[in-house]
Amino acid sequence: MQSVSRSWLLLSGFVLFYVIYLLFGALVFSSIERPVEERLRHDMQVLTQEFLNRSCVNAASLELFLLKVLRANKYGVSVIGNSSGATNWDLTSSMFFANTLVTTVGYGHTSPLSDAGKAFSIFYALLGVPFTMLVLTACVQRLMYPLVIAPVGALQSSGLNPRPATTIHFVVLLVLVLLGFFLAPAAVFSTLEASWTFLDGIYFCFISLCTIGLGDFVPATQPGLKHRGLYQISVMVYLFLGLMMMYLLLSFFHKMADLHGLTTLLQLPRCDDSDLEDDREPIVADQPKGPPLKDKAASKPLDPSSQATYNSISKG
Amino acid sequence: MAAPDLLDPKTAAHNSKPRLSFSAKPVVLNTPEDECDTRTTVMRWKTVSAIFFLVVLYLIIGATVFRALEQPQENSQKLAILAEKLKFLDLHSCVNASELEDLVKQVVSAVRAGVTPTGNLSLQTSLWDLSSSFFFAGTVITTIGFGNISPHTEGGRIFCIIYALLGIPLFGFLLAGVGDQLGTIFGKGIAKVEKMIVVRHAFYKWKVSQTKIRVISTLLFILFGCLIFVALPAVIFKHIEGWSTLESIYFVVITLTTIGFGDFVAGEKGHLTEGGSESLEYLNYYKPVVWFWILVGLAYFAAVLSMIGDWFRVISKKTKEEVGEFRAHAAEWTANVSAEFKETRRRLSVDIYDRFQRAASIKRKLSSELGINTSLNPEITPGKRTLSANLCEDRDAYPNLTLSLSPVPGALTRNGSLFLNGLSPDYADRREVAIVENLK
Repeated sequence: MQSVSRSWLLLSGFVLFYVIYLLFGALVFSSIERPVEERLRHDMQVLTQEFLNRSCVNAASLELFLLKVLRANKYGVSVIGNSSGATNWDLTSSMFFANTLVTTVGYGHTSPLSDAGKAFSIFYALLGVPFTMLVLTACVQRLMYPLVIAPVGALQSSGLNPRPATTIHFVVLLVLVLLGFFLAPAAVFSTLEASWTFLDGIYFCFISLCTIGLGDFVPATQPGLKHRGLYQISVMVYLFLGLMMMYLLLSFFHKMADLHGLTTLLQLPRCDDSDLEDDREPIVADQPKGPPLKDKAASKPLDPSSQATYNSISKG
Repeated sequence: MAAPDLLDPKTAAHNSKPRLSFSAKPVVLNTPEDECDTRTTVMRWKTVSAIFFLVVLYLIIGATVFRALEQPQENSQKLAILAEKLKFLDLHSCVNASELEDLVKQVVSAVRAGVTPTGNLSLQTSLWDLSSSFFFAGTVITTIGFGNISPHTEGGRIFCIIYALLGIPLFGFLLAGVGDQLGTIFGKGIAKVEKMIVVRHAFYKWKVSQTKIRVISTLLFILFGCLIFVALPAVIFKHIEGWSTLESIYFVVITLTTIGFGDFVAGEKGHLTEGGSESLEYLNYYKPVVWFWILVGLAYFAAVLSMIGDWFRVISKKTKEEVGEFRAHAAEWTANVSAEFKETRRRLSVDIYDRFQRAASIKRKLSSELGINTSLNPEITPGKRTLSANLCEDRDAYPNLTLSLSPVPGALTRNGSLFLNGLSPDYADRREVAIVENLK
């Protein structure tokens, strides 16, 4: 009984902490962004007024026109220049779109316009998202050996205790990932994309690799780009590899937390050591416990932190 | 299974287990665990690459379908907006194209920053007031990331990165907790139902009922969840936001899988209205409710998606098992068949040799009686053909044997037809063979 009440207590503690965290974030964002927004709004007002004064256009027809332009722009159709620019739905761009759908990044720089496209995206996502998660977890499992377990074992055999060994290796891996998947690509992006600074590049890498995908920065969308297809495919590869590394880091972190006893302290799902086995019990196991969904790990979201115990779902 | 014993007495011990790697060498596998390890390592590489290729294929299929569906629409949109632009320019002749484009560019970037230049600007609510920032922070942490609002200052972006770094794992733990409670509640219900049903069944029906109950319970879970977390919110969104049914469901799915395109966002409309006090009021408790729905709906969706993933794994595991079993069966069948074939060959060769000897002795008798000189006929006589055909009949009954057999010393098979033990047609006398035929 005590553990049940403790778990409820912990859960409500989490919720409370989460709400406070959100409030804090809201305050900070608000105070940073709002003045800028005010200024921009003021500028827009001035601009529209200028335009209206100088010309014979009346406000109403301008508004109508602008509304239409904005609606078209939301779907990626630009009115600027002649409209014979690159389409958003050629094969590589569609594949890029499908990739953002399936990795749940979802930039939104293009989204399905037609009803059939929307319906298809629903089914495509429902199947494709778990599929991708499966691939990523499988790859991460395989990569755990050479990238994590072997070096940690080497460190341990050279005399270190498990805890410091894992911590050291984690830090090393973290630095390597930062260099290779954030700083280096950011530099590449800031040179390839005309309007991106280095900070913008880092921001983009981070937002994409966490699958947040705000969509304010999307590579390969500027008009008149040479070898656009190749660029898009390489961005896709980068995203996939980066996601894998993020999952790897997170599952390593989970294992570390296990080792350090944090997960048991906070009653979080443990990292299953036997997730090395590929042969798991199927969904319809013989045990009369609850369905596999009951397992804590099964109910974690699609964000990286859940995937550590993905394969331990049916452990029950 | 008698056949394995013939070939390799050591494998007879492993008769109960289906052997997944049948090889010619009679090495006894060390322990089941070792076997499992090496086998699963090898298989998992294959599995991983197989799944990887499947994903790439899936992406390509998706790409082609999206292109087919969307490109015509996009083209028509382009034409429409171009027509609009030209019409506008015609109508208002004092505006030239470049000025218009400038304005449009500014407008577009302003909209990206969240400022809509349409409507009365002074009455618009800010995109960064507390409740909207709260919502934005929520979309960042849940990794949905709609993108209709996004930070534009450098400070905002840096803070966003740090904020997400800490917030995403936090949200992950929260979701784990919520999902756990959901699962517990549901699991308790299922356990009760199971107990009720199980009591009624006899013991020997245990397994079947379990499976059925499990399947039914998962289906029920999906159904109820869909009702509460998908259908109901879709109806509410349709009513409040004014979207079509498809758009509402589309929004729900895209949000709950954390894809979050941002082409549809709940609560966005409030910023575009002319700001009556009514709309602001309902927005105040509309957005928190939406956020709460996202939280619980995400837990549900995570459970559903991991279930689908489980099915994939079960299917792939079952396929692997079946393939493994099939291979084991095929290997055993091959072993049986080759053993039988060897037996048959041996018998046949003995038989043929006997007959040959008899034929030879008969020929000697005949020749001694008739005094006939035999001569070699290089053509293949019908007799020989029939003979080889008869002997080859057995071969046709086991079509795959030639592929899987390892060479036996003194092999009787060469180029698909049988030869006598050490004897070839060059030595066999056509006539003698013909006589053998007749004797048959």
